[in-house]
Parts: sequence; structure tokens; C-alpha cells
Amino acid sequence: MTVQTISADVGQSPISSRWRSLVTQEAVATLIVSVIVAAAVILPLFTLVVSSFQVLDSGGFDTTWGLDNYKTLFTDRIIPKAFVNTLLISAGSTVVATFFGVSLAWINARTNSPGRDRMEPFNLIPFFLSPFVGAIAWHNLAGGKTGLLNSWAHDFLGVHGNLLNVDNIYGVIWVTGLFFSPLVYLFVVGSLRRMDPSLEDSARTTGAGLLRTAMTVTLPLVAPGILSGAIIVFVTSAGDFGVPFKLCAPYGWQTLTTQIFSKAVGDDANQYLGAAMSMALGVITVFLIWIQQSYIAPRSFTTVTGKGFRPNVIDLGGWKWLAFAFNLSFILFAVVLPIFCLLVVSLHPVWQAEIIPSDLTLHNYEKTLFWWRPDHIQAATNGIVNSFILAFLGATIAMILSLVVSYMIHRTRGFGSRLLDFLCVVPVGFPGIVLAMGVLVTYIKTPIYATLWIILLGYITRFFPYGQRNVSSVMLAISEELDQSSRMAGASWFTTLRRITIPLLKPGIFAGWVLLFIIFLRELSMSIILYTSGTETLSVGVYYLTNYENETLTSALSMVQTVVLLVCVFVFRRVAGREALTA
Amino acid sequence: MTAGSSVGAMENTTAAGHYVDVKGLVKWFGADRAVDDVSFGVPKGKFLTLLGPSGCGKTTTLMSIAGLHAIDAGEIRVGGVLYTAPAEGIFLAPEKRDIGMVFQSYAIWPHMTVAENVAYPLEIRKIERSEIDARVADVLRLVGLGQMADKLATQLSGGQQQRAALARAIVSRPRLLLFDEPLSNLDLKLREQMRLELKRIQHEVGITSIYVTHDQAEALVMSDEIIVMSKGRIQQKGGPREIYARPVNAYVSNFIGVANLLKGRVIAVTAPGRGNVEVTAGGRIAQLPCRLGVGMAAGAETVISVRPENVEASRQNGGGPCLEGEVIQAIFLGNCIDCRVRWGEFEWKVMAHPRAGLKAGEKVYLRLDPEHTLAVQP
Repeated sequence: MTVQTISADVGQSPISSRWRSLVTQEAVATLIVSVIVAAAVILPLFTLVVSSFQVLDSGGFDTTWGLDNYKTLFTDRIIPKAFVNTLLISAGSTVVATFFGVSLAWINARTNSPGRDRMEPFNLIPFFLSPFVGAIAWHNLAGGKTGLLNSWAHDFLGVHGNLLNVDNIYGVIWVTGLFFSPLVYLFVVGSLRRMDPSLEDSARTTGAGLLRTAMTVTLPLVAPGILSGAIIVFVTSAGDFGVPFKLCAPYGWQTLTTQIFSKAVGDDANQYLGAAMSMALGVITVFLIWIQQSYIAPRSFTTVTGKGFRPNVIDLGGWKWLAFAFNLSFILFAVVLPIFCLLVVSLHPVWQAEIIPSDLTLHNYEKTLFWWRPDHIQAATNGIVNSFILAFLGATIAMILSLVVSYMIHRTRGFGSRLLDFLCVVPVGFPGIVLAMGVLVTYIKTPIYATLWIILLGYITRFFPYGQRNVSSVMLAISEELDQSSRMAGASWFTTLRRITIPLLKPGIFAGWVLLFIIFLRELSMSIILYTSGTETLSVGVYYLTNYENETLTSALSMVQTVVLLVCVFVFRRVAGREALTA
Repeated sequence: MTAGSSVGAMENTTAAGHYVDVKGLVKWFGADRAVDDVSFGVPKGKFLTLLGPSGCGKTTTLMSIAGLHAIDAGEIRVGGVLYTAPAEGIFLAPEKRDIGMVFQSYAIWPHMTVAENVAYPLEIRKIERSEIDARVADVLRLVGLGQMADKLATQLSGGQQQRAALARAIVSRPRLLLFDEPLSNLDLKLREQMRLELKRIQHEVGITSIYVTHDQAEALVMSDEIIVMSKGRIQQKGGPREIYARPVNAYVSNFIGVANLLKGRVIAVTAPGRGNVEVTAGGRIAQLPCRLGVGMAAGAETVISVRPENVEASRQNGGGPCLEGEVIQAIFLGNCIDCRVRWGEFEWKVMAHPRAGLKAGEKVYLRLDPEHTLAVQP
């Protein structure tokens, strides 16, 4: 704004001032972003609801309106069983993840277990890796036919037959539970660390013993965190596609997500039935997330005062070594063994559940990494390039959106901001595969279908709330007066955003960007619905290799993805610190 | 064309001679009228304080002038320029109002140095770099931060941030300065020092100022004029002496300083503005000669207001009308004795002369000066 403009505007007639006062930068930006967010979130879900009531006729061309899709959910030969399997897997994974998450959080936050300061980054690594890749690794570690652990058991312990078999529903529960343990851990460790020690001390002074204090004070205070984490794990497991696809679907256990997938792209594709199944899954998850957000999450804030406390540390005596061993085994199962297995398998031309040193070769990496080689596998090399494009563009666009949305939620008041706040919670409640079905049925007849753009759109819709929460948490900590004083200094809304708000939010914006970059690099359940030949992503490449090639090539690409993700995690920890994750 | 010449040409005061003119301001928050028909004016170069407890509408009024809130009705005009008039659909964006503002939290941007903070309003106005540097140096010297220019805002103490915020507000020589409780985050000693400092600087730069505070001492020290607000309405407007000596109602009397407030009824008007008021307190009745406030006719319900320093207490009955009471507390403060005197059910607060030598349990005679005994609106 120049001085000339200031004085010129002041002198304008009331008529043009009236016009100018309505069309401000702020109002225009608010309108545009509201429309984009509303369209991106509401449109796919609306279309999903509508198409679930469209019934495909026997010829497979025309549709009529009706409830037949929903009837099929009950009468179909496979779907009811898939439903039960999904519930079993979710419940089982929740138990496993809660067991590991809570005990590890307690060990790290409140006991004198050795090395507890060094463990946390490793405990969180599975959070950033792809559970699908975890399933591939565990398949090669303890599969029914090809397990490395099984052959070691045979060689060193003399066990006959297969000691372990993860190629079933229990394997899915084990791998999913392991990989989602950090979710529970993150929800619990914060409240354990920041709990005012005087709460426990005052219980002790009334004569309550250690155990009684833990049961009557500590546990109830942490319970909302545990419950929040458990619900998130339940919902995430129910919506997970990769693990059941790898470990149980090939052996006769279908889940809702594997069924939705086959209805979306399989030979007997029927998007309308897929939409109805997505609705069934979505309704359950949204209901659970709604309970978590509106009843449980608000309570967990009452346990922490926000001040930095040095929490009471419990002396475990000799048991501390057991706690240490427990923590190490978790890292072994969730991080070390899987990555070691991927590496070993990827270096063999053929995997026979044995390490054969003379066979080791980098040939698999050449075929999956180097697209200029004549014998490269296109789905794999496409996947690498596309994923980086999607992750970079997606994270950037989503953070711009997050910034404006956070600004409107926290800096403007009224109906619009509350609506936006709500719209930002909605996508979190839907599993990726459900939202992807919505995006697919919405845009299937538009030019963006079968392009990278439809995947980009899906990613941003589903995941921008994660970035938005990163920005919001920083924005809440910054006084609104910092913005206002810039306006008073004569800067326009946009100049204020550019020179004051964004520089102050930089840490939150960058942390959110890296987090989204990581999420997009490993995303599977949306990409698998929305990709076509040529728009494969990294995870779709892994899917392609595991489906049409062999385990060694699959492991090579999985290893590439894992290394890239680990590098990103390292960067993320450097810029964001541990607190950013819990936002 | 420079800002100075074009703005100067329009810098008219309104018919009433006011540089800042607020008329019929109304602001709703949900179902609450946060500001309820507030009108006032500020002459050019003067320092006006909006004084009241939290929730009285003073900050909302200030935010409305700044343009950080839209108002629901009324008109705000500064230097002849209409800032906002919802009836005509006029709302000038905050950045176009040419106002300097000092916030409660100082709002010094932590990612910039002190000099960058202060230079910001000038950069926004596209002023040449050499002039910016000169003016920033000048204004930093004026507020006593000459040595601090290159420090980051986060390295400053509270008082220094305060000075930096003031420098940033005045550097562009705005039409109007707004202060939103700027001293409330400082400790007592620093606050007392900054009051005088702020007043000195405002006087030196001569910019018309509106100051919001809940601290009556601050208002008395700094202001040319004070507006006492309560529940979104103006209770009284006047100079510090006038507000203190001639409060129009019990609320103002109680809010500014300490006062003995006793319910009563006007029984006779003896001369213009003079009369007798009958007060009762638990069986004790007295008729006190008073100055009558506006609208106090014979028979009117009233409250009499007497400052503790205007009550004379002695152990001897010197004759003439006086109230006989009992000292229930006497605290020796050096320059006076802070007493509580029971008279019926009422406890008089009395600031007695140290030589009066009053002690708890003694009988005492209170004499009220009719010139300083006010009958005000209840």
C-alpha cells in the first residue's frame, strides 16, 4: 500500500468506499478457500452417498435407484465374512498396539529403564514407515513357506515344520498392531510426561501406596489418552488395505478394504456396490472419530497444565533391565528385523528363505530404480518419479490451504470459521480407501480421471487436516495482536500474512510440510484406487511387484521407500522436535 | 503528492471542534450490547482516557476506532475523514486509517530486530531507505532505545518492548494514537515510571491519543480528559480533577479513588446547587448540608459521596452539626491515620490527621465539609 493510495482512498465518495469495504483481500481469500475446502470434502462424500443407492443392472451398463447394494452387503457370499474379519483385525490390532504403546510410553516417561532418552526416536519409527512394507517384510520373515525366522528355527533350534506363520488373520493383527503402536504411544506419553507430579505426590501423602496411586490417580488421568489412541488405531486398522492384502487376502481371509478394492478396479468392478461398502465402513469410523474428538480428546487436556514438569520417575530396581529388554524387542520386531529382512531378500535373485552369500547382487535395485535401463520395470520407476512429484506438490498445496484455513479458524470468528473447523475433522474420520472411492465416483467422467491430478486431489483432501493441525497449534501460541499491529502499521491483509504471519508460523508450516511429504511418499490405500497405468506411485509400485513379480524385486523397491522415509524422518525430527508429532 | 499535504488539506475538525468524533457507537457481541450508544469527541493533540473495569466496553470502543472490529451502528470520524458508518455501508480497512497503536502484549514481532520493527510502518508507506533510517534512529532516541536498534525483540525486557511498541506506533506520525492497556503487564515501579514517560513522549510528538485502562491512578496521571465507562455506557466525561472532585454518580465516585457512599433523600433545596440530605443508617439519622448534583430536587433519592480526606475527625465535639461515632480500626500510615468509624450500621472511611491521635474503641466526632459532600445520582 503506498502513501498515495492511503490518502486517495480516504477521499473517495461513500459509494465506492462501500464497494471497496466489501471486496477485501481477506474476504476474497476466505471465500475462495471455503469453496475449495467445501468442494474437496463434501463433493466426494455426497457423490459416494448418492452412488451407493444406484444399482448396476445385470448387463453392467445401466443403473436404477434402489437399496439393493445395501441388501447385497448382507446376502453376499463374501462381504459379511469380510465385515467380521475387519472387526476382528481392528479389535486385535487395537489390543496389540495399546499393549505396546502404553507400556513403552510408561517405561520411557516414568521409569529409570536404561537408555530411555535414546529409545523414543526408535519407538516412533514404525509410525513413519509403510505398514504394507512391514507386511511384506514379515511375510518373508515368518511366512508359511518362505520365513527366514522359520528356517533359522529349523537350522539352530531343530524345529520341524513351521514355527511361525503370519500368512493369516493373526499375522495381520500382529503386523498392524506393531506398526500402529506409536499412535497409542504418542497419545499417552505426552500426558505422562506433562502430568503435574504434585497430583501423584498428594495421593502419596494421603497414604496411598505406589500401586494404589497408579490405579487411582495416574491411570484415570491418562485414560483419555489411551482411549483416544485406541480408537485411532481401531479406525486406522479398519481402513488399512496393504497389510490384509499381503498377508490374509491371498489365503482366503477377505476384509472390507480388500473387497472395496476389488469392486473398484477388479474384473467384477461395481463402483456402486463399492460405494455401499465404503459407506458401511465410513459410518463406523466417522462415528468412532466423532466420539473421540468430542468426548475423549477434550478431557485429555484437563490432565495436563501445559507447564514443563519433571515427572516422578519410578525406580524399577532390577526390573529395569526387563523393561529395557522389552523396549529393545519392540524395536527389533517393528524396525530392525523387518528392515534387515527387506535388505537381505532384496539382494537375492530368488528368495528361498535362506541367506546365500554367493548369490548376493544389486540387480533388483537396477531394475526398480533406473528407468533409463532397458529392462527396468515401468510400474516401479514410474512410482518413484510420480511419488516425489505428488509428495512435493501435495505437501506444498496442502500447507498453503492449511495456512489459510488455520488463519480463518483462529483469526476470524463466526459461522464460517466453525464450519471450516468441522470440515477439517471430517476427512480424518474416513479411511483413505473410502474417500478414494468418493473421489473416484465423483471425477470418473471428468478429464482429471486417470491423471496424477486425481491422486493429488485425493491426497490433499484426505491429509490436509494433518498439516492444518500443525499450523494451528503454532498459531494458537502466537498472539493475534502481532497481526493486528501490522494492520495498524498500514499493511494490508496480504502483506501482513506475507511479512508477519507466515514468518512467525515457519516452524509449524515446515513441520507440517515434511509430515505430509512423508505421508504422501508411503500412501497406498487411496493411490491403489485412483491410479492407472502410468500414474503408479511408490506404494503402488510395490503392490505391482508383489502381485506380478517376485519377493526379491518387491523387497528392493520396499527398501528404497523405507530408506527415503527414514531420511525424511531424520529431517523432520531436526526441524520439528518431538512435540510436533502429537499435534 | 505527499501524505502530509493531502491529509492536511482534509484535516478539518467537526462542527463541535473535535478532531476525533465518535457518534452513537453500538457494538453487539451475540445478545450483549458491548458498547451501547457511546458518543464523545477528542480535541486535536489531546490525551483522552477510556477508564472502566473489564467488560465495560472500553477496549471494544478502541478496537472499533482502530477498525479491528466492525461496528453495528454509529459513526467514527477522525480529522474530518469518515472511518466507519454502517448505516452508509462505509468501513475503512484498519490499514487505511493511519493510526498508531500500542497493544497490551506490545506485539513486537519476534522475528525482527527493534529497528526492523520500527521501520515496518515506513516501509509499508514506501518511504525512501535513507529517510527511514533517519526517522527510526530519531524515534528510537526519543523513546530511549537508541542503543537497542539491532537487538532482537525477544532480547528486550518488558519495559523496553513497551518503548519499542511506542516507537513503532509514532514513527509514521499517524493521525491518531491508540493505547490498549499498554502498562498492565509491567511491574508496579516500572509502570509508574512509564506513565510519566508515555505522557512526556505523547506531549512531545503532539499526536491526539486515546488510552484504555482499568487503572484509575494511570488515568488521573496521564489524561487531559477521562471517560468513565460501565456496562457499555459512558458514565462521566471530564478532566481528572473534575472526575475526582465532582463525580456525577455513585459508580464513578466509587471507581475513582475511595469514597464514603451513603443512601439518602434530598429534603430541602436551600440555594441553587445546595441543599440538605437526610441519611439514615441503622437507627441513626442525620441531615447533612450538601452540594446537589444534576437533577437533585427536593424529595429525590440520592447517594451522598464524601472522600475520606474530606472527613474531619476529632475527639472533641467542637460544636455545630457533626456525627458521633466509634473508632473501630485505626491504622497509622505516617502521613495520616486510616480509620474506620462506626456510625449506626455504616462504617465511615476517614483519613485523619496524624496528630488527631485516634485509637480503636474511642468515641469520635465527624465533621463533613458541605463543599465536598456531594449528593449524586444513585
